Formats: sequence, C-alpha cells, structure tokens
Amino acid sequence: MSSSPAIETIGLRRVFDTRKGFLFREVTHTEALRGVDLVVERGSIFGLLGPNGAGKTTLTKILSTLLAPSDGKALVLGHDVMKETAWLRPRIGLVLGGERGLYNRISGRENLRYFADLYGVPAAERDRRIQAVLERVDLVWAADRRVEEYSRGMKQKLHIARGILHRPQMLFLDEPTIGLDPKSARETRKLVRSLVTDGVTIFLTTHYMFEAEELCPQIAVLSKGRIVARDTVDGLRKLVGGDRTLEAEAYGFEDREVEALRRLPGVSKVASEEYGPSMRLTMRVRTLETTPADVTRCLPGHPELSVRERRTSLEDVYLDLVEEEAR
Amino acid sequence: MATAAANYSGRRGVSASLRIAVLQFMADPQWLIPSMIAPVIFGLVSFELFRGYGGPYYLIYAILGAGMMSMWGQTLYGSGWATGQDRVFGTLEPTIQAPTPYLYVILGRVLWNVVSGLIGGLIVYVVVVAAAGSLPAVTDPVGFAVLFVFVMLTLAAVGVVFAAFYVYTRYAGFIQNIGEFAFYVGTGCMFPVVILPFFAWPASLFFPPTWALDALRYLAIPGYQGFGWGFWWDLVGAVATTTVYLTIAGTVFHRVERHVLEEGNLSDY
Repeated sequence: MSSSPAIETIGLRRVFDTRKGFLFREVTHTEALRGVDLVVERGSIFGLLGPNGAGKTTLTKILSTLLAPSDGKALVLGHDVMKETAWLRPRIGLVLGGERGLYNRISGRENLRYFADLYGVPAAERDRRIQAVLERVDLVWAADRRVEEYSRGMKQKLHIARGILHRPQMLFLDEPTIGLDPKSARETRKLVRSLVTDGVTIFLTTHYMFEAEELCPQIAVLSKGRIVARDTVDGLRKLVGGDRTLEAEAYGFEDREVEALRRLPGVSKVASEEYGPSMRLTMRVRTLETTPADVTRCLPGHPELSVRERRTSLEDVYLDLVEEEAR
Repeated sequence: MATAAANYSGRRGVSASLRIAVLQFMADPQWLIPSMIAPVIFGLVSFELFRGYGGPYYLIYAILGAGMMSMWGQTLYGSGWATGQDRVFGTLEPTIQAPTPYLYVILGRVLWNVVSGLIGGLIVYVVVVAAAGSLPAVTDPVGFAVLFVFVMLTLAAVGVVFAAFYVYTRYAGFIQNIGEFAFYVGTGCMFPVVILPFFAWPASLFFPPTWALDALRYLAIPGYQGFGWGFWWDLVGAVATTTVYLTIAGTVFHRVERHVLEEGNLSDY
C-alpha cells in the first residue's frame, strides 16, 4: 500500500460566481473555501463538521473530482484530483445522498447494474457483486421495486450501495444520515463502521455531533470555508479549554460573579446565555481543582442556584469553535 | 479489496446507457405519444398534403416528409433531452463522476433514439401505404433502406453535439426551442432545401442531414434535381459533415466536462 495520505489539500480555494440578469449581468462572488489545508491518513473514518454553508459539500465535491478548485491543490490517494481524474475515479466512491441522484422509474437493482457498468465492475462478477451490496445494505427484499416506491432511508441505502459497488479505496459520504429515522441512521452508521474494516478510508461530512463522535477518530471543523480545528475528540476538547464543563443556573448573575468564576483555577472560558426564565453560565475547566462546590461558593445569594458537572461534548467544542470563528 | 480500476470500457458504457434508455422508455408511458401515436398522425397529414400535389412519386415525398418529421426530433434532441433529465434527476453528477467518459453514455442513448426513430419511420411507412392502398415506387429499395438508416446516423451525429449543450448548461432547452423548427425546415426534412430561398442554403449545407436527405431523394425519385450536383457528391458531403460533427463531439465533450467542473453547475436544473 502506498504511504501517501488518503487526502492532502494545500491552500484549497473555491469561488462560485452567481450571475443574475440578462441585459445587465450582475455577478456575485461567493468564496466557499478559503485556503483549506488538510491531511487525512489512510484506513480510518475522518469526520468533517461544519454548519450549513461552511463548505463541506464543496470540499467533498472537489475531492471526488466533481468540482474544480479555484486555487490550491488537492491530492486523493496521492493523485491530483484535476490532473489524474481517470486514475482516481475508479478508486473513489461518492455518496451524496438525498432524494435525487437515482433513476426513480426503474428498480434499485437496475440502477446498480447501470452504475456497475459505468464503474467497470468486472462483467462476470457484476450481478453477484450487486447481490452482495444489496445484502450488505439490507435492501434485497426491495431490489426489484421501482426506486420511486422507496422511502428516504431505502434511497439512502441504495446511494451507499452504489458508492461501494466498485470497491473503492476511498469513500466520500456527504451527510449520510440526514433525514433518516433513528433506526435507519443507526443501521447506516453500523454499515459505515464495517466498511473501514474492509480497508476503505472514509471521509464523512456531518453536522450530527454524536455521529462524528461515535464514528470518527479524527475530526476537522470547517467554518466559513476554513478549517478552524483538527484533532481527536479529546484533543478538540482540550483545544476549547477543557474536557470538563460546569454549568450554573439561576435567575440572573452579576458581572462581578462572572469575573470571580473566571479567576477559579483551570477555568478557561465562561459563557452566559439566557435559558428560559433563568440564566445559565457555562464554564470549560481544564483541571480537577475547580469543583461544583467552588462554583457555588462564588455565587452566594442565589437560593435557586443549581450547579452541575458534565463532560464537554463534541457539540460544545463545535459551538465554541464556530462561534469563535464567527466573531 | 480489489478496485474495478481498469475494467470500464466505452463498449460497456454504451451498452449500459442503451439498456437504461430502453428501461426508462418502457417505464414511462408518455413516450407512446411521440414514438407511436405521433407518427400515425404525421403520416396521415403528410399523405393528404402530398396527395394534393400529385405526381408519380407523391407517396415517396409523403413517407419521407412524415417519416423524417417523426424521427428527426427524437434522434436529434432525444439524447440531449435525456441529459437534461439527468440534471433534473440529479443523476448527472454520479454519471460524470463514474470513470466511463460521458460521451459513451450519450452514444448509448443516441443508439436507442435511432432505433426508436426508425420504428417511428416504419409506422409512417405502414400508415401512408395503408392510406394510399398501394406501395410507393422506389427505384432502389435496398439502397433506399440503407440510406434511410444513414440519414438517421447523420441526425444522431448532430444530436451528440447538441447533447453537449445539455451538459454545458441547464438552459440548453432554450437553445433547442429556438433552433428546433429552423433546423427542421433548414435541413429539408419535409421539403427539399432547393425550394428554400438561396440565402438559406449555406446554413443548410452545414448540417449533415441536409446532404443525406438530398441523396436519399436522388435515390428514390427519378429525375429529382436537388442541389444539382448529384447523388455521389451529396453522399460525400454527408459523410464529410458527419465526420466533422463526430470529431467536434469527441473534443467538445472533453472541454464541456472540464467547463462544468469549473462552473460547478452539474446539480443545477
């Protein structure tokens, strides 16, 4: 196996031009990616988190040879996505998902047969391979029905079946569980995990934190077209100021109280937000020195005060990073 | 895990695309109108028109006119329209992303459109013959049949180039609607180009079907004048312009694909 990373991008930029008007053309430039530098190692699931419009799908499409970068370089499996598309395309799979992307009037099996031929699945193996992927995504029972009769979850499974049909070395999954019911989403995540054991490197975009936390040993956060953080979930927790989170809730706090909390040992960040009729203070804590009792001592005169401790979640990390970038 | 790296081929791409075109055709009853019902109507209208004109070869004119009317649109624009549908279905992205060049997918669709166009032509023939109660007088039936298929191929060659527009832009239907009837008249589908004003000729000669249709009339109708330079030069013109179109198609598709990757409009419809 080659030692090159699965993905390497250097200063990747993408600008979209939107044109309006017929006689008087008005061109709007939107910078979807603003210099993305990213390295993804082979053989695991890499998660890309980001809010809507962060550039996740744009990056996925560039890496899967469907979109040209405006500037910078992108290598997948050590090959340039624009110059070596012929080498890359048989070796990568793409699952964009959603309601579109399939021929609705024909059966799921016929859809797979068509794409198997276009992807060059060996003719002698084709039908056997189709049956195998249908079994893998649990869709054999509906394989000969028209796709227009499929539920959203079934279509998603068919998308994934198409993505893995040609046994790619690298699979791009763009929000694979969006719109799925909990059961289908869980099955999809199980399937994604099983693909890694087959040696496939997976690049997964999502804005479901628990999904990324559950599946991805390495995560990057993309915000406004830039990678704002990249690490393991624990690494990201440390990055935003601690893996412990303390929350204090009462009917309003004074500034001096918030300042007192900031001075507590190991407290890296205190954020306040309205929470129903009350106010909530959220603290990221790096060390074990500060306890809920310390917080209670800093906030006297609040009989209704409740303080609780929890582990900093990936959602906390994500929101901290994205809010910081927005500032 | 073995990848399907080098197993894709143009032949498989064409046959896969042909198969999917047939399946979609069978699954969608609305196709019955252009491919089965329209030829019957065109045949009857054309028969009535040319019967008034009279002459010994009016049946040939009626068959050619209505036959081309029912075939040309499907062959010329069917593949492009299917690409437009790919945009709507969202299947253009995964198809372009597949290793098989999209040109082969277009060729498969063209092949099906030629076949379905020929079926339409056959329906016209049967309808006109049934309406007239007699067979048309064709001097060289075998040559006529061969050349008839060749006319379809010249239409298909133009169709491949037109299909590139549908990959290029979601507004290709607009271009088609503008050019549709001008092209129909300009290539002499219903009436020979020689009856058009002289200034229209250069544009007509740019299209392969113009030459092929003129050659077909030379072959079918004794004493036909056409452009006046005869059957063989018409054939040479048809082959030459078809070659030009196919060469354009080969290069255009590569550039169009590059362009859409730069524009990022593959999922727009």
